[in-house]
Amino acid sequence: MAPIIRISDLDKYFGQLHVLKQISMDVLPREVVCIIGRSGSGKSTLLRCINFLEEPSFGTIEVDGLKVETGTKGRERRQLVHDVRLKTGMVFQEFNLFPHMTVLENVIEGPVTVKGMDRVKAIELAEQNLDSVGLLFKKDEYPNRLSGGQKQRVAIARALTMEPKVMLFDEPTSALDPELIGEVLNVMKKVAKDGMTMLVVTHEMGFAREVADRVLVMADGEMIEDSKPEKLFSNPTDPRTKALIDRYRTGGN
Amino acid sequence: MNPTNSTTAHVPKPQLSQAELLYEAQQRQARNFRRNVGLSWGILLLVLIYLFSGQNFLGIKTISLDYEFIQNNMSFIARGIGQTFLVSALSITLAIVLALFAALGRLSKIPPVYALSTFYVSLIRGTPLYLQIFFFFLALPQLGIILTGLWAGVLALGLNYGAYMSEIFRAGLASVGKGQREAAIAIGMTPRQTMQRIVLPQALRFAIPPIGNDFIAMTKDSALVSATGFVHEIMWRATRVGRAQFHSLEALIMAAIFYWLITLVLSYIQSIIETRLSRGER
Repeated sequence: MAPIIRISDLDKYFGQLHVLKQISMDVLPREVVCIIGRSGSGKSTLLRCINFLEEPSFGTIEVDGLKVETGTKGRERRQLVHDVRLKTGMVFQEFNLFPHMTVLENVIEGPVTVKGMDRVKAIELAEQNLDSVGLLFKKDEYPNRLSGGQKQRVAIARALTMEPKVMLFDEPTSALDPELIGEVLNVMKKVAKDGMTMLVVTHEMGFAREVADRVLVMADGEMIEDSKPEKLFSNPTDPRTKALIDRYRTGGN
Repeated sequence: MNPTNSTTAHVPKPQLSQAELLYEAQQRQARNFRRNVGLSWGILLLVLIYLFSGQNFLGIKTISLDYEFIQNNMSFIARGIGQTFLVSALSITLAIVLALFAALGRLSKIPPVYALSTFYVSLIRGTPLYLQIFFFFLALPQLGIILTGLWAGVLALGLNYGAYMSEIFRAGLASVGKGQREAAIAIGMTPRQTMQRIVLPQALRFAIPPIGNDFIAMTKDSALVSATGFVHEIMWRATRVGRAQFHSLEALIMAAIFYWLITLVLSYIQSIIETRLSRGER
């Protein structure tokens, strides 16, 4: 099967700082891939390079057949990046719902403004997705009336309503109170079950172990491990991976 | 519900939690404070009116006004309200546009654009509004540019308030977090759509209360435009009839009352708008 995401020889510098070093990886359609690693290991930057929230320094990124080379400029390139963004939905750590719009308006904003979808159709689709994250009854509320977990579930519905090929999750539960994490993870499991391709940067080892098809481990800008969760958690090859997993086992993070 | 519940302390109330009791006590305190402030306002107002009543009080004669003059000239001065509003509304519109551009310029990474914005703000804030009005009305004709009093006033007020208001818009734009832009970009919005749909609405919501304050301040500063002698707003009319009939006391008191009433009404409207806007706030 052809990969839906292919990253080749990706490098990213922030000034002198080399935050991603020669990253190459594939993600197959319908695969759920978790990326773990300590903070500062480059895992979020890697995710943000895929939809060009960060501009990679070198390398190529290919999403569902759209190949973007780094260092190119101009109108054609901008169009290409735009198309990549339409194929990727993103969920942020801080939710980033639009506070001046109701829940429903948040969810239909993308389809209507960006894709030019008919409003009635967008609402229909949005309501389906809000229903599947269990928040249809909140559709006319403003985000400030929601709990953190509810905000993140709306954010997931918002991303899904763009009908992306791939969902990118950037530490989706890190800003949540512990008792609210479960409801978000459950929604993510459901999305995975529905066959969505997912790339999840996370500290939730339980989720990685249970849901992921593959787990990637990053350290100091390098991809040090790429294996099945059962193998990774029982028999990690790199000592840094072992240290990371042990740290979570003992309850630290 | 038993209506005596709220008035008689001895009737046992439905069980309230400690937090509810505390909240109720605080509410009561706040209500009492507001009532007493209102009462005091009323007394101060009565004292002020009495001061101008011309009555004798313990041998002190209060100020007496010529009510015939007031009656005869009230409508003449009142007819200036329209002009005052016209000048203020035109000026605030110009000011908002200029302030928005100045604020966007302040955010620009292009040196000349940034410089133009800061240069404008510095120049205007560094010179008196009164001078600016005269500059447009008296100095420009020397260069062959003749503006009517109205347009000279509107240009000066608009430029002046624009410079001050740019700070409001800058703060408004800065109040919209980076995450908002990223979320917009991630769903595929262009920079223009991001600005129009996500950033500006939030920045404007942030800016509306201070814009309201500035509009209220402007209705009063518009009195300066009377100095041109060609805009027949409240102040111009008051000084005209006051000087002509040596009744400036009565004329200026009337003008003051009109300005005061206008600002009270505008403040009230502003408080309504603010309440509306606060829904959906973070």
